[in-house]
Amino acid sequence: MIIAERRPLPKILKNIEPYRKILVLGCRGCVAICSAGGDREVAILAEAIRLARERAGNPVEVLEETFIRQCDPEYLTTLGELGKQVDAIVSLACGVGVNFIADLYPEVRIFPGVDTTFYGANVALGEWIEKCRGCGECIIDMTGGLCPIARCAKVLLNGPCGGSQNGRCEVREDMPCVWHLIVERLTKRGELDRLMEIWGPKDWRASGGEGLRVRERSDLKV
Amino acid sequence: MEEKGFKLGILCCNYTNLAEKEDFQDILGEVIMKRYPCSGHIEITDILRTFREGAEAVLVAGCQKGTCHNENGSSRAEHQVEGAQKLIEEIGLPKEFLKFVYVERLNTGDFIDKVKGFYKEVLNKLLKEKRV
Repeated sequence: MIIAERRPLPKILKNIEPYRKILVLGCRGCVAICSAGGDREVAILAEAIRLARERAGNPVEVLEETFIRQCDPEYLTTLGELGKQVDAIVSLACGVGVNFIADLYPEVRIFPGVDTTFYGANVALGEWIEKCRGCGECIIDMTGGLCPIARCAKVLLNGPCGGSQNGRCEVREDMPCVWHLIVERLTKRGELDRLMEIWGPKDWRASGGEGLRVRERSDLKV
Repeated sequence: MEEKGFKLGILCCNYTNLAEKEDFQDILGEVIMKRYPCSGHIEITDILRTFREGAEAVLVAGCQKGTCHNENGSSRAEHQVEGAQKLIEEIGLPKEFLKFVYVERLNTGDFIDKVKGFYKEVLNKLLKEKRV
């Protein structure tokens, strides 16, 4: 899922400082699952904004709403009307949602309430770790399902590096060396030969080197 | 700050104590007492709202670890307080003005002592800042 983190409150407050009526808009997609932008976080941020503004002697009316998703037009149909009721919107969706609303509703002032950080997995309650960087050309079929692009601090395609010690990453000692894990896993499976294969150069254009990435499925188009 | 304006917020599990208003007569100002079926029901929004209602400081009390009727309610409340502390700091309030305490289940005396202890801590901080 896309992982996000609430922006520091002073940044959010600065963006909405001139406005008297705002909407805190959550998203029940990824940001709800990673506890950054669901219904609960909407309620907390709304209350924090009210408190901060009251203390600053500049009270604000804060509406609360959460959409099923903010990255899909079918769930944004009420936004035009909602946007007219408020001076500005603080969106707790990832950057995709904020961008999409900014595209579709140019008359709406929308500000991000979270920083979008990475694609990760929920490894424990309250803990998310990066697992994918969306580089556009997966190589995990050759690395036992473990991605060195996302999980190697040096983004090496031929690890482990000389700095890896006892299976730990030299950059992040609290993290395992993913190349150590890859070698261990393939050895256990008797498939270490996979790493002896010559790989073609990785096509980094797919990671965004050619500008905006677009995916089209003509069979789904109406 | 005038004494009459001082408000102390207390959010607690209903079963930690049987304290009444008279028990807090030593506290100069108003005590906003909110009881919950379990401290695990206390949300960050409840804490922030209590500040909005005028509380200068807020104390959240939960049953001692291992004695919560719902097992982890008070532990959850402690985490909620940590979350709310981050927010009030960002707003500009001292995080010491929000505190979580574990209290002995159904020991009203322990509860009252901890409330009064917190009141003194807050008062000292306010005196240092010359706000009282």
